[in-house]
Amino acid sequence: MAREQVFYEDVHPGDALPTLTVTVDERQLFFFSAATYNGHRIHYDKDWARTVEGYDDVIVQGPLQAALLARAITDWIGGRGRLVEYAVQNRAIAFAGEELSFTCVVTGKRLADNTGLVDLDIAGRRDDTVLMPGTATVALPLRGDRS
Amino acid sequence: MTEQSLIDAESASRVGTVAATATGEVNRRDWQRWAAAVGDHNPLWFDPEYARAQGYRDIICPPLYLQYVVLGVTALDGLRPDGSSGAASGGLAFPRAPRRMAGGESTSFFGAAYHRDEIEMVRTIESIVEKQGRSGRFVLVTWRTVYRNQRRELVAEATTSMIARP
Repeated sequence: MAREQVFYEDVHPGDALPTLTVTVDERQLFFFSAATYNGHRIHYDKDWARTVEGYDDVIVQGPLQAALLARAITDWIGGRGRLVEYAVQNRAIAFAGEELSFTCVVTGKRLADNTGLVDLDIAGRRDDTVLMPGTATVALPLRGDRS
Repeated sequence: MTEQSLIDAESASRVGTVAATATGEVNRRDWQRWAAAVGDHNPLWFDPEYARAQGYRDIICPPLYLQYVVLGVTALDGLRPDGSSGAASGGLAFPRAPRRMAGGESTSFFGAAYHRDEIEMVRTIESIVEKQGRSGRFVLVTWRTVYRNQRRELVAEATTSMIARP
C-alpha cells in the first residue's frame, strides 16, 4: 500500500488534517467490545442501557471514539511519522448510527533534538457538538533526513 | 457548617500506592482484530515489508492498543452487574460518591511494541481530590500508569482520571 509521506517542513500552524467521518453501527460496537475485552452492557444491551443507565440506545465506547480520533492522526502522519503525545477527554456520549467526525488542526511546530514535532488540537464531533476534545503531538521526518 | 468530605479515610490513605500491576504479551492478531474493529488499516500494523521500509524491524502494535495488552481474565461471576470487570480502578470505591465516569487520558509514547514483547504495567494512585463543579461537588481521581517491555525500556506513560459524584 503506497502512502504519501508528510514532512515537517510542509506543515504549518492552522493547517487542517483530512477529516475522518465514521458512522459506528452495532456490529462495530460489538467487535470493538470483543477486541478490548469490554463486557459493559451499555454497548450491546439496549434494555439495560435504557432502563438501568438511562440512555436512549446503546452507546459508542469512549475508547473507540479515542481510537478513531487517533486513526485520523496516524493515517495522516505516514509510515515515518510517530504519535508522541495523545490526550483526550470524554465529554459527551454518542449513539450507534450517528455520524461522527474526527478533526485535527495544527497549532504549532518546533524542532527538538533534530526531531520535528507538530502539535495538534483534535476533536471527535457530532455535528457542532464536541464529544471528545484533546491535543496530540506527532514527530514528522525532516526533508533530507533519510535515516 | 462543615460538609462531610466525599473522600473516605480508606480511599485517602491509598494516594501514592500501587492500584494495579499486570503483565501481558503483545500479540499481532489481537492488535489486528482491534485495528479492524476501528477500521484502521494502517500498513504499519499489518504489512511487515512496509514497516521495515519505514525503519521498523517488523510490524508494530498500534500505540492506542498497548493498554489492552495487559488485560487479565475475569470469571463471569466476578463481573459487576453491568458486565464490566472493575479491575482498572484498583477497586477504589467512594461510598459517598458512587456515580463514576471516565475523565480523560493523556499518554506519552516512547517506543514501538512488537509481536511477543512482554509488557509490564504499573498503575499508581497519584491523587484523590474533591472539587466543586457547575453541577456540584465531585471527586477527581488521577492514576499514573507506566508500561515497560522485557528489556525494562519505557514504552509509554499515561495519566488517567475518573470522576465520582454523589
